[in-house]
Amino acid sequence: MRWVAAIRMAWGDPAACSARRTGCWPLHRPAYWAGLVAIAFVLFSGCVAYQPPQFELNLEGRPKGSVSREQADAVAQMLQRLFGTPDEPRVPEGSGLDLELLAMAAGPPTGDPQGSVRGLFRRHCATCHGISGDGAGPTALVLDPYPRDFRRGIFKYTSTKAGIKPLKSDLRRTLIRGVPGTAMPSFAQLAPRELDALVEYVKYLSIRGETELYLFEQVVDEEIRLPLDKQMVLDEGVLPVARAWEAPEEHPQLRIVPGARPPIDTPAQLAASIAKGRALYASKEAQCVKCHGPNGDGKGEEQELYDDWNKPKRGVTPEQTAELARRFKLPLQRLRPRDFRQGTFRGGIGPEGRDLYNRIYAGIKGTPMPGVGPNPGAEAVISPEDIWHIVDYVLSLSRRNP
Amino acid sequence: MKRKKLTRRELLAASAGMTAGLAIGFAVPHVVIAENDRWGDLVGRLVYDGTPPERKKLKVDKDVDCCGKFDIRDESLMVGPDQGLANVYVYVRTRKVPIAPELAESAPKQVVLDNRDCIFKPHCMAIWYPRQEYAIINSDPIAQNVAFSPLGDTPANIILAPVKEGQDDPNTRAVWRFNRAQIVPVPIACNYHPWESAFVLPRDNPYVAISGLDGTFRMARLPVGKLEFQVWQERVGYLDLPQWPKGRFELAIQPGVNDLGTIRVPAARFERK
Repeated sequence: MRWVAAIRMAWGDPAACSARRTGCWPLHRPAYWAGLVAIAFVLFSGCVAYQPPQFELNLEGRPKGSVSREQADAVAQMLQRLFGTPDEPRVPEGSGLDLELLAMAAGPPTGDPQGSVRGLFRRHCATCHGISGDGAGPTALVLDPYPRDFRRGIFKYTSTKAGIKPLKSDLRRTLIRGVPGTAMPSFAQLAPRELDALVEYVKYLSIRGETELYLFEQVVDEEIRLPLDKQMVLDEGVLPVARAWEAPEEHPQLRIVPGARPPIDTPAQLAASIAKGRALYASKEAQCVKCHGPNGDGKGEEQELYDDWNKPKRGVTPEQTAELARRFKLPLQRLRPRDFRQGTFRGGIGPEGRDLYNRIYAGIKGTPMPGVGPNPGAEAVISPEDIWHIVDYVLSLSRRNP
Repeated sequence: MKRKKLTRRELLAASAGMTAGLAIGFAVPHVVIAENDRWGDLVGRLVYDGTPPERKKLKVDKDVDCCGKFDIRDESLMVGPDQGLANVYVYVRTRKVPIAPELAESAPKQVVLDNRDCIFKPHCMAIWYPRQEYAIINSDPIAQNVAFSPLGDTPANIILAPVKEGQDDPNTRAVWRFNRAQIVPVPIACNYHPWESAFVLPRDNPYVAISGLDGTFRMARLPVGKLEFQVWQERVGYLDLPQWPKGRFELAIQPGVNDLGTIRVPAARFERK
């Protein structure tokens, strides 16, 4: 019968196969079945199993092959022991992190009818800032400036003195305001508790990131004996970073307290303040013109500027720079001093120009912009009153009044 | 005047005093010898094996009226007239090394970084951070900037006011404190004058030597016993030689002077790719 012959052919009767030579399906061979199962596995496996995302190891800047498997595992395992995973964060002892808030921000974005929220970071932030907070999410490559990489623990817009970590309220203000002139939008529509959760999660990723830098320093560069001692990592890696975050919250002297603002109530007073600011702007002491240019258009004589995240991508020779490019996820990006005439201030202006005052006073962290406030062990290069004059002048360039 | 007879108590006190005096007199030299047995110096000389390349003139295009008059050249490879290899760091890699007590007294309270003639002076520094401060000063009539970001420590981005003749302005100075040891020297930059460069190595012990233009280096009063050392040079990082893989070597320090002799570093090690 025809159909019997067809089945036989499909089964791959060796005799039939050899007789017909063509159209032979060797279903009798185990390898054939194994192949079918493998294809089915590839096609359908993604549909059923949830693959929890993992934190990526920070191998940036290191030549390929310079970190051994054993070293990478030691760092990854210690980080997981201390900080958990993107779905289940953990809080190392003494870090001061709030696990309840972290749980709202961590994990996949979900919610329930009772209104409890989960996964805020992945819902709002990870597309640009990445699951690991490395500032290299899927959209990062096309953004200028790149999203902030939290792992170095440096944040630009703060109300704290030079070299001091931000206050939590500084990060919160950046979330609410957004960063004008960049891809970072405002998250003012989020509930206060949700903002708290995101700030806490950014702090968590940042402490985790700095601990990771410490671990790579010890395990790869210093080649300390493995296995790692958890207490040592806590004492030398986690706690100094956690204390640095707590310092400005606890010690008011680490925050900037602006000096008394000179009066600008009448047009004459404002004009006088602007005139003083213009002279200071160009002065040898403040040196604003060097980068921001005599017209405030950001075209000063110094144009080869890079922030702390991009500096390590630059070699002495072009060949070295090309070689370094292969060690980083995102290509080298130049920093452009602000063009004040556009009136877009990334760190905001603040009430009466207060945020601008902070940046002139303490500089912008992680960038070449230094502060003119007091140096450690010295006095202020520019007096508080004069900083206010510079604020007024900078705002006048964009025809904004304080 | 009649001489008073000594009481028994006075005699006892006097003899006790003499005994103590004798004991101290005998013991002190012994203690000193015992102290000297515990510490040894490490010396050596690094020599550049080859014809030193010409030091490239750096592009000075900022504050030209002040800086243009100086012959500012690349300092990343410094070879002295007698082939001495300068600015090489040699330091103890062993953790928690005992420190000779007298070093605490003899170490200067400050290490100075001077901005002078539009470059950083000196080019390479080390700092024993729990004991020494970093004094950063400006000696030029232009504003200077000093920026560095040590790993896990506070980043610095300091402005120093220009020096005005006849005026002592506290804004021309700053005092910095490090809070953490680094395992390699930290680069220092000036954001105003991109050609300026220097290095500082904060450590939790005073055992860092930097070779001079004659190539010699000396590390005083190391604890006797086996120690591991690290050698670093800015152009190559860890100074990798056949006898110093990854720029590291172990040595059992003996009392007295431990001389490594002359170490020849082939010129090929410094070729830039």
